[in-house]
Amino acid sequence: MTTVPTQPDLADGPAEVVKGRSLWHDAWRRFRRKKMAMISLAVIVVYVIVALLVATGLLAGDWNEEVGPRYQAPSADHWFGTDIFGRSTLRMTLYSAKTSLTVALFASVISICIGVPMGAMAGYFGGKVDEFIVWLYSVLASIPGLLLILAFAFVLRDVTVFGYSLQGMPAIYLALGLTGWVYLCRLIRGEVMKHRSRDYVTAARSYGCSQKRIILKHIVPNVTHLILIDFSLRFVGYIHAEVILSYLGLGPVKDPSWGKMIDAAKLELQRGHWWELTAATLAIFFISVALNIASDALRDALDPKLKT
Amino acid sequence: MARISTMACMLALAVSLAGCGEDYPDRDTNTRFVALHARVRHLDPAIVNDTTSASVAGNIFDRLYQYKYLVRPAELQPGIAAAMPEVSDDGLVYTIRLREDVFFHDDACFPDGKGRQVVAQDFVYSWKRIADVTNASPNYSFIEGRIKGFDEFRKYTHERSDAGEPIDYATPVAGLEALDDHTLQITLTAPWPSILYAIEHLPFTPMPREAVEHYGKRIINVAVGTGPYKLERWDQGSRIVLVRNENYRHDPYPSEGEPGDKEKGLLADAGKPMPFIDRVEFEIIEEDQPYWLTFDKGLIDSAGIPKDTFSNVVGAGQKLKPKWAKRGIELIIYDYPATEWLAFNMKDPVVGKNLALRQAISLAIDREDFIELFRNGRGTPAVGPTHPMISGGNDYLHSPYHRYDVEAAKAKLKEAEAFHGGPLPELAFTMGGTDTSARQYAEWVERSVEKIGLDVKIDLMDWPTQQEQVDNAALQFWRYGWHADYADPENYMFLYYSPNHAPGPNSTNYANPEFDKLFERFVTTPHGPQRTALHHQMEQLVVDDMPAVFTMYSIAYVLRHPWLENYKPHPIMWGTLKYQKVNVAKRWEMLTGKTLEE
Repeated sequence: MTTVPTQPDLADGPAEVVKGRSLWHDAWRRFRRKKMAMISLAVIVVYVIVALLVATGLLAGDWNEEVGPRYQAPSADHWFGTDIFGRSTLRMTLYSAKTSLTVALFASVISICIGVPMGAMAGYFGGKVDEFIVWLYSVLASIPGLLLILAFAFVLRDVTVFGYSLQGMPAIYLALGLTGWVYLCRLIRGEVMKHRSRDYVTAARSYGCSQKRIILKHIVPNVTHLILIDFSLRFVGYIHAEVILSYLGLGPVKDPSWGKMIDAAKLELQRGHWWELTAATLAIFFISVALNIASDALRDALDPKLKT
Repeated sequence: MARISTMACMLALAVSLAGCGEDYPDRDTNTRFVALHARVRHLDPAIVNDTTSASVAGNIFDRLYQYKYLVRPAELQPGIAAAMPEVSDDGLVYTIRLREDVFFHDDACFPDGKGRQVVAQDFVYSWKRIADVTNASPNYSFIEGRIKGFDEFRKYTHERSDAGEPIDYATPVAGLEALDDHTLQITLTAPWPSILYAIEHLPFTPMPREAVEHYGKRIINVAVGTGPYKLERWDQGSRIVLVRNENYRHDPYPSEGEPGDKEKGLLADAGKPMPFIDRVEFEIIEEDQPYWLTFDKGLIDSAGIPKDTFSNVVGAGQKLKPKWAKRGIELIIYDYPATEWLAFNMKDPVVGKNLALRQAISLAIDREDFIELFRNGRGTPAVGPTHPMISGGNDYLHSPYHRYDVEAAKAKLKEAEAFHGGPLPELAFTMGGTDTSARQYAEWVERSVEKIGLDVKIDLMDWPTQQEQVDNAALQFWRYGWHADYADPENYMFLYYSPNHAPGPNSTNYANPEFDKLFERFVTTPHGPQRTALHHQMEQLVVDDMPAVFTMYSIAYVLRHPWLENYKPHPIMWGTLKYQKVNVAKRWEMLTGKTLEE
């Protein structure tokens, strides 16, 4: 017997059992039980708030200002010292949260926007459509990921769309987003293949629902939890990718980023200037750990097999 | 058990020996290890025009004349030429006798792979290659308009190229003639006092026709010369290996030097045949940190000092810190005729037309801060293009705009906006380099210029790409510099002569008819006060018109390990490896603590 919690009207069993305990409600209840997950969520919320405050100009908008002598060690005035131009390392670290989270968010959205429809079409229609999509993602998957991202980033930075140069942040979103949808596409394809022969889909089909409606209104909502789990894992991956690209000189040109800070600090370590590296590394460490714990907990919470 | 112990001992010995070898591969052979800080673009001397490529190619290709290795200021002596030239009374005809013991490297392009003797016709052929438009040589400007019939030959190559027909190198050039196999005669259009400096330059080396025909387009990646070293291997972007040319002509180590050279042991090998080193390995290390660590570990024999390492290495009074001095490392400081600047494209409708804008930018640049921050004080603020080492000082230049004054810059910017007819658009600053130092440099320029209210967009690109863009006059505002090819101000002034516009060496596309007239007089005027006065007038024009913001005259700081001998960096000459010597036993002992016999 198959349980389809999001489709109680089509599922077997009494509706009363399901009432008030939807998958999401249940998942949240499970998530809340884990203390580390809640702490991690709080850390993520703090980063998001910092990023929002930076984006609205309320925080670290003056990161480019000279606040003291160059290469000043951490002090009461400047907790994380200053950089080569006498700028506050703390402000740059805070500002970089916005850079990283923006890149991760946009790149994730692009990947999901490509991966989900492609996976759903391949899984639902099968045949030539499936063959083509499988061929396409197999080609992409056969190229080493970092090389592909670097190649996209190199090409896109010289591209201008409607007079708007893609150099800098847009090139990174696109490079990451356009190369990162393969895994999600595979996942959704497999899941949709399972769903397309289920009773609720057969029922929807026999009611005369269009294919578009079946995919969008019936199947996709049933795989949303997978998208969410993938998003949480992907997000942290993209934060790391942005750091790597920035470190390699392909990151944002003007805005500070943790990758650029580490890149600058690697030379400064020889002078004994450890604070820029420390600040950027700690910032990456906390968001990475928090996202990893939270996504693990989210996966556990959303996995129906673990349901008690 | 005994057997196991013996095997274990042998294994341990093998591991330890292998360990030594892996840590210091080939350091027990007569090999010189060099790190290059940028990629080598090509090795065809006709088109080499960057210092990195020249530093390799200079050891493969010999020239008619060469600088005296130890003598300063730089002075020429015969190389492939048998003697200094005979010059006609009117200064127009140069007759050069060639040595008869000069042979090309053994190579597959020759019958039986045996390098043949160099003859005067090889020079005629090689110089025509510089003029041939199909080779797109950036070095034609060195001889443009100077040698009788050369410009006509260039025109001929243009026409043939446009018609899609092959170029006949037998087409005569009136001013370049092989009188016999060992006599070359050059006839000039007008006296050219700097000719010998110019033909010492790498593009004027002989290239065998056989190699060009044998390799075709691949000629830019092979090197068949007459120099002390032959190209053995070139892994693009990572490593170049040269080996000793066993057929190198008799070329004894110099016996003439500066005061103090003898005491430093630089004359100990006087009269001995060169080269001393069997093999040279160039490794390309673009990042500062690995570059420095490679030197620190002793894997390369000499190195410059990256900016972030400088304060750890050099202490008060510009002396090496004891930690390094104790290891026998020597710090060598010398004037290096390189000038750095921020270039403007004078064809650009925004910066090229607006003198007040260029002056405002110049006033916004704190040269001393730049030199301290990025060069650790290894330079002096520049006023004009000519390095004082070449001009003997720069007191003759006057510019109220080559100073740091933010308020004056802001006032100038208002003038610039009025001239432009409204707010100025965002400027695009390009930096040839994508590493951390390049990014910080670009950010420093951005911050300096934004301080006065100008918006700047940074564009980082690798060095060859930037060169290409400069050649296409596609940039607006970029960082550039010039290292003198020869010890004459002409080599800086020709950078502003309008017929040399990009892709020629006039990368800023500066054009001033008054400058051009002065330059044409200058190049034909014999060395003396009149020539100096013309140079000063020309340079003042450049400073006033400001096609570039001159930032720094370089001073070089170089380190050498104690096992590298006969090492005296030359400020101009390319190809000094033949003079150098590696004390292999000393190197091996200092690196591994063992003698070579062990």
